[in-house]
Amino acid sequence: MTDIYELRVQGHLEDHWSGWLGGLSVQRHEDGTTVLVGPVVDQAALHGVIGRIRDLGVPLLSMRRPAHEIGDGGDDGR
Amino acid sequence: MVDSSGQAAALGPLLETKLYIPGRHLGLLSRSRLIERLNQGAQRKLTLVSAPAGSGKTTLLAEWLGGTAASKRAAGWISLDPGDNNPALFWTYVVAALRTARPDVGERALSWLSSARPPAIEWVLTSLINELNAGDQPLALVLDDYHVIDAEPIHSAVAFLVEHLPPRMHLVVATRSDPPLPLARLRGRGDLAELRASDLRFTSEEAAAFLNEAMGLGLSAADVAVLVARTEGWVVGLQLAALSMQGREERPSFIRAFAGDHRYVVDYLVDEVLHRQPDRVREFLLQTSVLDRLSAPLCDALTGRDDGRGILESLERDNLFVVPLDDKRHWFRYHHLFADVLRARALAEQPHQVPVLHLRASQWHERNGLPSDAVRHALAAADFGRAAGLLERAGRAILATRQDAFLDWARALPDEVIRARPVLGVYYALALLPDDLEAAEARLRDAEGLLDRASERPEADRGEMVVVDDEAFESLPGTVAVVRAYLAGARRDVPGTVLFAGRALDLLPEGDSLWRGAAGALLGLAHWSSGDLEEACRAFAEGMASLRMTGDVSHEITGAFVLANIRTAQGRLREAARIYERPLELAAGRGGAVPPSTADLYVGLSELRYEHNDLDAAVRYLRSSQELGEHGGLPENRYRWYVAMAQIAQAEGNLDRALDLLDEAQRRYVRSPDPDVRPVAAVKARVWVRQGRLAEALGWAHERGLSADDDDLSYLREFEHITLARLLIARHRSDRGDSALREVRALLDRLQQAAEEGRRLGSLIEILVLQALAHQAQGDVTRGLASLERALILAEPEGYVRTFVDEGEAMRALLGHAAGRGPAGAYARRLASAFGEPARLASTPLPAVSAELAEPLTRREVEILRLIAAGLRSKEIADHLCISVFTVKRHIANVYGKLGVGHRTEAIVRANALRLL
Repeated sequence: MTDIYELRVQGHLEDHWSGWLGGLSVQRHEDGTTVLVGPVVDQAALHGVIGRIRDLGVPLLSMRRPAHEIGDGGDDGR
Repeated sequence: MVDSSGQAAALGPLLETKLYIPGRHLGLLSRSRLIERLNQGAQRKLTLVSAPAGSGKTTLLAEWLGGTAASKRAAGWISLDPGDNNPALFWTYVVAALRTARPDVGERALSWLSSARPPAIEWVLTSLINELNAGDQPLALVLDDYHVIDAEPIHSAVAFLVEHLPPRMHLVVATRSDPPLPLARLRGRGDLAELRASDLRFTSEEAAAFLNEAMGLGLSAADVAVLVARTEGWVVGLQLAALSMQGREERPSFIRAFAGDHRYVVDYLVDEVLHRQPDRVREFLLQTSVLDRLSAPLCDALTGRDDGRGILESLERDNLFVVPLDDKRHWFRYHHLFADVLRARALAEQPHQVPVLHLRASQWHERNGLPSDAVRHALAAADFGRAAGLLERAGRAILATRQDAFLDWARALPDEVIRARPVLGVYYALALLPDDLEAAEARLRDAEGLLDRASERPEADRGEMVVVDDEAFESLPGTVAVVRAYLAGARRDVPGTVLFAGRALDLLPEGDSLWRGAAGALLGLAHWSSGDLEEACRAFAEGMASLRMTGDVSHEITGAFVLANIRTAQGRLREAARIYERPLELAAGRGGAVPPSTADLYVGLSELRYEHNDLDAAVRYLRSSQELGEHGGLPENRYRWYVAMAQIAQAEGNLDRALDLLDEAQRRYVRSPDPDVRPVAAVKARVWVRQGRLAEALGWAHERGLSADDDDLSYLREFEHITLARLLIARHRSDRGDSALREVRALLDRLQQAAEEGRRLGSLIEILVLQALAHQAQGDVTRGLASLERALILAEPEGYVRTFVDEGEAMRALLGHAAGRGPAGAYARRLASAFGEPARLASTPLPAVSAELAEPLTRREVEILRLIAAGLRSKEIADHLCISVFTVKRHIANVYGKLGVGHRTEAIVRANALRLL
């Protein structure tokens, strides 16, 4: 199921990596990290992107599904 | 360096490049602290070098293996790539790599791996390990880039290899992510040495040595510290930085700018490096980045120029991340990380150019006889028509050895591309068998539809249909018939198999050994299923002869097993024994390891010895079969071992044990193309009859829908019907004649007629024996003796014994009457003396058994052994001796341990041999 994923990596990646990394958009942050964000069709595609990040030797810092985090908060019923 | 036999040729000329230990190409730094750790690690089983791309894993291992004369060690090396996820291919590379260091090993393994139906991989590895065990020199095997492997069967077989590694051998796995091997267990046992990212990072001292001594940059300690901090000691980062600074005046300012930037280290530095290259070289790098391996002619084909050789040489000279893949500097590859950077740039800067480059690469590989790479690049170019055409041309060869690779490629093609191609469609259908009957059927229908419509058009007009391989198209109707026969066989449709296999043999040209062989084998199996055994043998043997002409020897033993089974059913026991023995003799003549499926042949021989009442030999063969292990035979024949063992347990009067073994046989049963002519459930019903558990046996007959007046007396149900007859005779005896035997005799008459028509001597003898017993049960001894006499005359030349003896006391009495009378009198006397077999078994000790026990049994243990032999279960023994079940089990375990046996039957056989009972 397609979902929006957000992967944060160490260092600034340039825009030309977008096509290589599953078409995710590349957002560089001032703290020296890059956030790759966009739709990922399924788990296999997600693992493909993670594999490519691994192959670049870029440290993967975190991974989020922003939409679900909001949903989870609501489900708590608090 | 690679053997020049056909095996290497079959893999293509690129094999060598995968087995080449890459030279020390990047910098000149010796990493002595890591070399020392590798040397220490080599005392263990496995070294795992797990670290990101660009950490210097390959270079380090190459240095370790190439090192100083003192530390130089024999080694095989494989540079893996994603195409190696096919197990047969993977292990072929492993064996070929080992042979570069140990040319004396692996010949047999290679021939097995290249056969259409390779044996279980554990079997291949066991043979290989046994050969490697013979060496006394240390040997290392390096699997580089193991992270590209994601095929689970490969991981589990690598784990098996690690588990059974010869003591002088060491395995090294270099990878970017930890492999799914049992690392925790290996770590816990001290079998694992590890080098990880933190180990591989350059220390400040190493960085200083590299930058200032090897690269001659003359940097201050502070500058080195800044570079180490910015790159975190990442080897590729420091190497790129060094390249960027070579010939540059303002090194400190470069370092400051680099340190103050957040960009991904490789991006930043590759830009620096590329900017300092001439435009032509930059262009060349981007264009050729689509290749996994580069040679000058291949590069020229992509770029349309002729400067490939010069540029490759200058790249190597300047340390620009090209890795030579052979000694002749013919093939190279880019450093993986560098290649990824180039590819991402090519994709971003020239998106429309990339498919064109792949297309050119595909064309070059096709011209140079490398169809696999040609297909791969055609798929990467999304030129599906081209990929389909290549696959069609190479299909036959690929299907014969790499069915799963064919499937992977075919699945990458859009449906409509395959549906327009009848030849490819038929290959696809074949590749889908026997796992996916529905999909195979659909593919076959598409192809047949195309052929039908084509036959209505003039020959030159192919309409919507695409054909690349005209020769294959010419013989396609024959090929379709083979696949149809295969499909029918998989569906247990005997008439359909006979029809289509016969049609295939009519249609296929004489020289088409592969398809004709397949058709012959299918026809043979179908005739076997229908009970026409002579025809089955003829067709099957012809098919085997055809397959032999293709040079594939993997069918020899599986074929022998089938043929001997048919001969046994025909009552030609001696010929069956010869067929079983021949491949074993051939293998012994060739020397070396026993061939795969040998365990099945032993089971077959055991069954024959059993019939001849040579129970020692029967047990011995089963034990030998067992010693060959779980993978010593084909999985679909495994259950037969348990059936054979159950028979022996029965002969020893241990019927409960026999039932346990038959239960296990049922659990192990898997459907195969061979007809199930002796269903295990029916064998169980026979044991119930002997135990007097007639209600259960009748339940089985009811469940199977069997009755004495069945019209359908087909061969596939013959064993069940004979079982039914035996059951009904037993019921008549037990209810003292209340149930009529007339219908049983009628059933036996009809079975006899069918067996005579099919000339199935084995069945006929058994049917006559039952007729004799049926007459006897009715008090008609004269007619009983007449039937028995006929059975004896048929049985004597082939030495049947157990068919008579297993019938017990009633038969013993009849044989007593027959002894000394008529033409079969002498044989009857011999059989009569064969009763009471367990006693005789004791008189001939098993050769494999030593005459004495190292540790004698206690009186209590002997007592328990006797009760086991009497057929008592643990609980019953406990009750009998007034001790706990736990204590009984402990005694039994001790008894088994002292006798060196694994279960009851063996214990009894062994105890008999030792005269303990």
